Amino acid sequence: MVETRLDGLIREKGLYQCLECGKCATSCPRCMSGKEYSPRLLAHKVIAEREDEAFIENAIWECLTCDLCSERCPSGVDFSGFIIEMRAILAETKGLKGYRAHDGAVHAWMRMMAIPELKQHRLGWLPEGLRVKSAGEVAYFVGCAPYFDVFFSGIEVNTLSIAVDSIRILNFLEVEPVVLADERCCGHDLLCTGDRENFEALCRLNFAAFKEAGVKEVVFSCPECYFVWKEYMPRVCRGFDLKVTLLMDLIDQEVSKGGITFSPLNLRVTYQDPCRLARMVEGGVELPRKLLGLIPNLRLAEMEHFGRGAVCCGNSGFINCDAYSKFIQIKRLQEARSTRAKTIITSCPKCMIHLTCAMRDKAKTGEWKMEIRDIHSILAQDIGWFKG
Amino acid sequence: MPVNVLAICCNWSPWACLNQAGMTGLVLPENLKVIRVMCIGRINQALILKAFEYGADGVILLECRDEDCRYGPGPKVGHENVERVRRLLSLLGIDQHRLVEVSFGAHEKVEFVQAIEAFVNTIERIGPLTQARKKGGDLWWKQGLTD
Repeated sequence: MVETRLDGLIREKGLYQCLECGKCATSCPRCMSGKEYSPRLLAHKVIAEREDEAFIENAIWECLTCDLCSERCPSGVDFSGFIIEMRAILAETKGLKGYRAHDGAVHAWMRMMAIPELKQHRLGWLPEGLRVKSAGEVAYFVGCAPYFDVFFSGIEVNTLSIAVDSIRILNFLEVEPVVLADERCCGHDLLCTGDRENFEALCRLNFAAFKEAGVKEVVFSCPECYFVWKEYMPRVCRGFDLKVTLLMDLIDQEVSKGGITFSPLNLRVTYQDPCRLARMVEGGVELPRKLLGLIPNLRLAEMEHFGRGAVCCGNSGFINCDAYSKFIQIKRLQEARSTRAKTIITSCPKCMIHLTCAMRDKAKTGEWKMEIRDIHSILAQDIGWFKG
Repeated sequence: MPVNVLAICCNWSPWACLNQAGMTGLVLPENLKVIRVMCIGRINQALILKAFEYGADGVILLECRDEDCRYGPGPKVGHENVERVRRLLSLLGIDQHRLVEVSFGAHEKVEFVQAIEAFVNTIERIGPLTQARKKGGDLWWKQGLTD
């Protein structure tokens, strides 16, 4: 019998190993927020009831690809990997692309960035005093922050502060990073919505642009960009030979050499683990906690769900923004508030956007409001050389 | 070079202008596509961005004057969206003159036609937006799917 593409995918991602134990469904944030969706049922349908196409086609787009189900799965089913591949199949064969938040504006500018002739003007945000260059060995990957801050100006989110503070840290470490005028989106959200053609175009354009600038190592603050470069760039780009580094890792290495100290910060904080970092990158749970632990007087109070068991900020790939995601976000904010922390620290611009948006609920003015800051901003504010 | 210009026209004052212009024999440029909406407040950042993604060389929003809006905040929403999308276009390296908004009173048929002519002339002078014609965008377009 000929194995279909779907059969191959089910086998490759381990869905045949499913025990129907239901741990995935009871950990899935969408399922637990009342949405009629279950990873377990979807696994069963694609294996045994494939004629229920309507159910399968809907369910494929429900997943947040947060990977919490795979974290709990006793059989090691790679459910998020399965979903991402299935979306590519459905987009290719049926033109399906899920319910896109913001009418798909985010995906529209990402696809426009996949045009080779495009000449962006994206460096206007760089403040004076930061040292960057246009060619060299080490680069910093900015990501979509310049676009996010314009598009989401209604909720007054400042994701560019992450890029500014990351470069500030690099400058402090005597690194003058390359920041490319023609850097493109990493393509994470196109990957997540099945648009493989434009995703791969972005990967190739980025690889060519960084190579042309003589870059050998690219440093990332955003976990999603890092995840795409680490996992997908080598698969998509032939001869991919750039070193991919997480900025937090770099800081950790520099700190371990000695001489770096942090000024005290008297603050009680809690930490929102981004899915891509906590569950998809080795050491992604310990690293931010280790760095926060270096700041004297900073007290980290963990939420009920934290680390590899942390709950997603409610959206991924800018699809599925609905009442259920709102419910997930509010639960998350309640968890954060009950730690009695003043500030939520995160390390992903999208967690920052989604949680900030949820805090601004007009009906509940102030009730869920908390300061939210990126870990790189906290570190940049307090980093210094030891003056013994 | 032929250009594609998209006009998004509010159903009230601007549409009245368009009607009167038609009745009095005023002629609109041929390469203009008009989409009628109930209020310019219906249009969001995504719809304007996608017009460019799908091959528009210029987009003009035709709206009521602020004080004439039948629903309240329509034109103000329009101003906000135009301001933000212009900044996004600028990041993407697309000339900001390719997106404009003009407001009209219900009787301004001559001004209406002149504004459209002036805009089409501007776009013809700047030329087609070759760098934004997208493979992916065209693909969705051809499949006849709404995005």
